[in-house]
Amino acid sequence: MSAEFDAADVQGNILRGYRKLRVRHLMLEIADRIAARRWLAASTSGRDEGIPQITRGSWGDAKPDSCFNIGLTYEGLQALGTPGSSLKTFPNEFIQGMSARALKLGDVGKSAPEKWPSPFDDPRRIHLIATIYADEVAQLDQVQRRALADGNALRLLGTREGCCFPDDQVHFGYRDNITQPRFAEVHDPQRYDDGQPMAPLGTVLLGYSTNFEGLKWRVPQPDALGLNGTFNAFRVLEQDVVGFEEYLDRTATDLLANPQVDELLPRGAEAKIASSRRAALRELVAANLCGRWRDGTPLALSADAPDPGVDRTKFDYADDSRCPYGAHIRRCNPRGGQIVQRVANNSRRLVRRGMPYGPAYDPEKPDRAKIERGLLGNFIGASLGAQFEAMSCDWLNLGLQDPRVTGSNDPIVGANDTETSWFDLPLKSGATIRLRGLPRFVHTRGGAYTFLPSLSAIRFLGAL
Amino acid sequence: MPSDKDWFDRFVIGLPERRLFKFLAARILVPFWAWWTPVKPLPGGPHPSAQPGDNLQCMMNLIMPLKDKSAVGRAKAAGAIAANKDQIYAGLNNVGTVHFARFVIVGDNICMFSVYDGDFTNYIRDFIATIGSVFNAVVELVEGGEDVIPCEHNAEAFIEWVHARDLYQVPDTATGVLRDQEALKGDKAASGDDDLDLLPRRLTLQLHANPNVSLGSGYRAYPGYSAAQIRKQLGIGW
Amino acid sequence: MDDSSVAERLVDAVESLSTDHKRGTRPIHTIGVGVDGYFQPSEAARSYCKAEHFQRPCVRASVRFSNGSGSPVQHDGWSDVRGMATRFHLSDGSATDLIAMTLPEFFVPTVDQFFEFARTAKPKPVRRESPWQKILDMLQLKIPRRNPPPGQKESPDAGAKSFADRHRFAQLAVVQTDTIGAPVSYARAAYHAVHTFIVTAPDGVRRPVRFSWQPVAGVCNTKATATAVDNYLRQELEERLGRWPARFMLMMTIGEAGDALDDPTQPWPAKRVRVVMGTLTLKNVAADQVAAAERISFNPCRLVPGIEVSEDPILRARRNVYEVSCQRRNGIPCPFNGS
Repeated sequence: MSAEFDAADVQGNILRGYRKLRVRHLMLEIADRIAARRWLAASTSGRDEGIPQITRGSWGDAKPDSCFNIGLTYEGLQALGTPGSSLKTFPNEFIQGMSARALKLGDVGKSAPEKWPSPFDDPRRIHLIATIYADEVAQLDQVQRRALADGNALRLLGTREGCCFPDDQVHFGYRDNITQPRFAEVHDPQRYDDGQPMAPLGTVLLGYSTNFEGLKWRVPQPDALGLNGTFNAFRVLEQDVVGFEEYLDRTATDLLANPQVDELLPRGAEAKIASSRRAALRELVAANLCGRWRDGTPLALSADAPDPGVDRTKFDYADDSRCPYGAHIRRCNPRGGQIVQRVANNSRRLVRRGMPYGPAYDPEKPDRAKIERGLLGNFIGASLGAQFEAMSCDWLNLGLQDPRVTGSNDPIVGANDTETSWFDLPLKSGATIRLRGLPRFVHTRGGAYTFLPSLSAIRFLGAL
Repeated sequence: MPSDKDWFDRFVIGLPERRLFKFLAARILVPFWAWWTPVKPLPGGPHPSAQPGDNLQCMMNLIMPLKDKSAVGRAKAAGAIAANKDQIYAGLNNVGTVHFARFVIVGDNICMFSVYDGDFTNYIRDFIATIGSVFNAVVELVEGGEDVIPCEHNAEAFIEWVHARDLYQVPDTATGVLRDQEALKGDKAASGDDDLDLLPRRLTLQLHANPNVSLGSGYRAYPGYSAAQIRKQLGIGW
Repeated sequence: MDDSSVAERLVDAVESLSTDHKRGTRPIHTIGVGVDGYFQPSEAARSYCKAEHFQRPCVRASVRFSNGSGSPVQHDGWSDVRGMATRFHLSDGSATDLIAMTLPEFFVPTVDQFFEFARTAKPKPVRRESPWQKILDMLQLKIPRRNPPPGQKESPDAGAKSFADRHRFAQLAVVQTDTIGAPVSYARAAYHAVHTFIVTAPDGVRRPVRFSWQPVAGVCNTKATATAVDNYLRQELEERLGRWPARFMLMMTIGEAGDALDDPTQPWPAKRVRVVMGTLTLKNVAADQVAAAERISFNPCRLVPGIEVSEDPILRARRNVYEVSCQRRNGIPCPFNGS
């Protein structure tokens, strides 16, 4: 290990979740370079008045009431006057920015960057994304006011705000936030053994060993800027809940007429799932698409019905696993299961910090007008190319990891098209029922690649 | 009714085959037009695409000039490949997405040609992780290679270095090179004020800027299937 | 304006593409030859398309090969698009057609653009480029215009080129037409059905596809520099089929979401899944050429259950265009199956 790990030098949202109820992302443009540098210096001064203080990874027992973190885009680093010799040591995908990587991320059609609303329609102007976490709106407002007090430093281009649902539920009705990579160096009482190997710190921080033996990502230079930093893919992901539920309706009806339905759901087995056979089929399909029942029970452990008794995290994909090869969670993270790119097992893991936005969908009260709802996601990893993009372009879409899913996209978040999409529901016999006509349920509505600098790096930038 | 005019016309039609004209074209006309209407070299590798079929059976055509341009230098390169056979095969088997891969020496270049599935950077990155030592042994012999080895510690730079040496793939259709040049300039217009007669010049100047290219995306007997899908279908494991 | 008057205007537009068009003949692909044969689907074809000719072991087929020109004067040796229209005869006496040509892409994606194209590409007197102009072209690294073949007075080429300069979608077809040449034999050219069709498999899966005929004998053109011969293709075919049948492989390419499904000007990438659908064997030149080459009327939209038209507006317009054209020249109207 090249660097002595110091959690106090790392921004707090990277290694642990804050578990606050609300989040607000501020998309900011640097108005004046000198004032912005002063702003950065003040955010790490330790004097908690004026500019909000960056939350560190070492809050100990006294978790702050509100947390505050920042990420810089490549344009942001440029705007601050980071020297060219330093800028060119950043990875290509970060330099190009998220909108230039649209094809790799499946941001095409309605999800294409040209269709993103403001402020993401002008990505070059987004320099800095500041994120506030708190339980109350008033706290978010207060931190925002302090952050923007110096109008010379930063100009607000737009905000996105999210709010937790009860029980870690997200739109589509699944329970989320169940597993995250664990790191030997980080004590997190909320993360217990999930049966997966501990992730090397280099998965999520620059300057440490990665999952690839002997391979290290380039640390942007100088070390004061790059070390203990990481990269984030910030995504605004719209979720079509109505479309999703309608698809489940349609599919359940089709399945009822399918000759193999009794193998998929034996007569009488519906009682363990729902009140009617059709409702049970809906849930069964929803569970297979995700790889978890909506309560979080993994199909790998309980494929016939949700079971609150099983461990939600500790499982693997053995050869006889009944989790579909194409299920969302298996595509994102195939764990120790057999994949084509054997060297890539465990290498594309991400730290995910997401929160829903928009009102929860209530089937009793259908939307009168078009309401946008979805997820504000931070997908954090030391290499955007090796983790976030690699997962997106080869695994979520295309499905290269398993010949049985190659040519299909992730059933929930993939860039699906009803004409060509498919998903195989596994049967106990080993046969499958192929579902077709899955529409695209998740559309990208904005985002940016940001660099999450260490506390030292923020001071470095503040002193430029 | 043959006339002087016809004789002159036939003479002009035959001009491009005459040595003097060929010399003029190569030494004066092409450099002049390349200077007057500069053309950027188009980037190498497969065309970026989100469609599954485009991301299966992609081609890599890597041309790397050897430092030592003698039989001794070529023998060194041949030796480096031969000495690493186990590494290469184990790496290819475990990367899992490669259909074919071979090394060729052509005119003091060591070339690596392969057909692989999925994203180029993932392919090279997985390779660095499994057979980085082979890359190091080969790239060490190549001009400019010292800047990016050991590749395990320069993964990003190494991937870019390889990409920069991957040949531009001239599109399969006659007018594809025009569309590529427009795309490089960010010109997405459906219509323009073009002069289709300039197509030969555009192609000539691109090949002036980009002397080594791959012609077309290549023929495939069974396009649209991954290496693992074929292995699975044949019952030989994946 | 209703569909039938659009079709009338389209036929007028097509007729206007050759100034010596003779009433009572086809407006384009005027000179052709009818051939008898049979089609045998491949084993794989069965699982991709439920249409009868892909399910039965063998169906009788009638083929009409043609020169693209609408002129009543035969010019086999001119550089020109060639056609291959195939009729598959089904068990109940009905039939389905597959119309293909040597040009893999079409000039325009919509009917309105076709009208503009026809206006622009109206034949104009051919101008032989002067030697000085040719030298000027060479200095600009352009390829000098080829001298027109002897006897050619008018040509649509200049108009088509100026249309393509303004419309990028037309450039591929125009460049390909410019260099298409003349085949040494009708049996030695590849023919493309150009448009996207939707085929339905026995399991109900629908796929967007494009069809191509690939000659088993291989593709071979006459030398571009040789002096054009006006009349050889029919005779060559008679001699060839007298010796041995000629065969074509039917290839079907499957499109993906994101491909140009409704646009016949755009090629699909070569990396799409390609299915061998069967083999067409041509036995002999039909004895009754009036019936097999003149009166017979094909229609790209004469389809059977298992194959449908896509949303391609040109393909959809061709249905009525072929009907109108057939009426104008007193062809044998072939009622649509089941319609």
